[in-house]
Amino acid sequence: MSTFLIAVLIIVVLLFFWVIGVYNKLISLIEAINNNKRQIDIQLDRRFKVFQSLIESVKKYMDYEKTTLKDVVALRNQAEAAKASGNEQERINAEEGISRVASGLNVVFEQYPDLKASQNVLQLQEEIVNTENKLSYAKQAYNDSLERYNAKKKSFFESMVVGLFPSKLDKDFTYWSLPEDKIQEHEDYTVKF
Amino acid sequence: MGISDYHATTGNWREQLKRNERKTRQVIISFFAIYIAVGLITDTVILSSYYPSAPLSQCLLALITFKATPYATLIMIAIGAISLFIAYAMYDRIMLLGTDSREITPTSAKSLKEKQLYNVVEEMKVAAGVNFMPKVFIIEANYMNAFASGYSEKSAMVAITRGLLDKLDRAELQAVMAHELSHIRHHDIKLTLMVAVLSNILLIVIDILFYSVVFGRNNRRQDNRLMMVIIVLRYLLPIITMVLALYLSRTREFMADAGSVELMRDNEPMARALLKIHQDHQDNAETYAKEYGKTPHEQVRQASYLFDPSTIDPVKSLGSAFSTHPNLDQRLKAIGFKKK
Repeated sequence: MSTFLIAVLIIVVLLFFWVIGVYNKLISLIEAINNNKRQIDIQLDRRFKVFQSLIESVKKYMDYEKTTLKDVVALRNQAEAAKASGNEQERINAEEGISRVASGLNVVFEQYPDLKASQNVLQLQEEIVNTENKLSYAKQAYNDSLERYNAKKKSFFESMVVGLFPSKLDKDFTYWSLPEDKIQEHEDYTVKF
Repeated sequence: MGISDYHATTGNWREQLKRNERKTRQVIISFFAIYIAVGLITDTVILSSYYPSAPLSQCLLALITFKATPYATLIMIAIGAISLFIAYAMYDRIMLLGTDSREITPTSAKSLKEKQLYNVVEEMKVAAGVNFMPKVFIIEANYMNAFASGYSEKSAMVAITRGLLDKLDRAELQAVMAHELSHIRHHDIKLTLMVAVLSNILLIVIDILFYSVVFGRNNRRQDNRLMMVIIVLRYLLPIITMVLALYLSRTREFMADAGSVELMRDNEPMARALLKIHQDHQDNAETYAKEYGKTPHEQVRQASYLFDPSTIDPVKSLGSAFSTHPNLDQRLKAIGFKKK
């Protein structure tokens, strides 16, 4: 009888440690998502600052930028306002707008051959590519961490632990994605020269 | 041979990562099993020298059920743990040994290309969600290669040769750096070190056993079967541990390739980079062989390289079971490029 009791005790203890393990794992996954979300903010903020200084420095070469700068600032304010009011969709749209300005900037470089050849502009182009890449990779990392969390949370056995501590472990995050009409619009988009 | 000679598919990096994760687990488990088995054989030898009349199976059973304490196994585990601890603390000092290298930071980048290198590493760091920036080094050498080491803020580093930096475009450079960063986030250096340290301990133990059984004074009392096992192991174990270590190394290369595709969500740059590096090594085989040969302590980096330099050496590249890296076609196939 006592061996049976010991066996039960061992199983209970193992189960206890397993629950703790799952709990801690899920908490670390949630915190990774929170951190990755902030990382997107950081990259958006960085992009704004980089573009502002970029536009300032190419201003002397072309008039185009005076209006571009205004566009970027306006879009940025829009994004900030949307973020403050918690309107995720509007914010994503405004940030998308800034991305379009960035690609417009690269096209402008192409139109000025002597400007294009200058080392400074090559550096600026590298800076733009780098900035845009970092932003999209930050979004990708955010979505990846969400995938890991959701997969863990919803899988069998783990979901029972989530059921025990729903307020701590059951969070609802949304993937960073474009709205349906935007996706359609981008899908139909082709380059015309 | 170019990218047009291959059928491009999107590849399945999730599946690749999972498969190689499983292979890694198998290798590590069999490695530990061998380690414990050798420990138990040692214990059996010791125990049966105290109780010469007891049959071997009974000795072994007593050890497994802890009726007799398996001292040798416990000591081996302790020595293994201590050596690993020391190896983990010291290894980062040796990786750049003998190379002419320079660290790249945003302020020390001398050209656009160097700035670009730092940028792509930073981009991949963001994509991987790693919360530290590895140190970035350039090695002044013409051959195209790169390697990574470390797993923490203090020790993580990636290094790339000047030849690679000059000959790859931005996307290819990014794929290579994603491969290296994947080695870091998969903690590959820990595995490599673990296998290297434990195999060395294993070989020392089996050597001691061998000599004490063959030349020991009490060899008449030893069971012949035990002696046979030890003699066979003495010659077989070095080969087994080496094959296991190399298999693990190839597995981790596949994983780093898949990790690169995971970070970039694009498999073509990686394929192009591999083909370019392969072609370049073929074209300049002689000069590169000389250059690799001139660099001291090349062997500490061999297994961590992006591209196995021994493929240009006809003697070393004989069998695929004895190479640190999968061959080009296997690697391309794993990321979704099948030869036409």
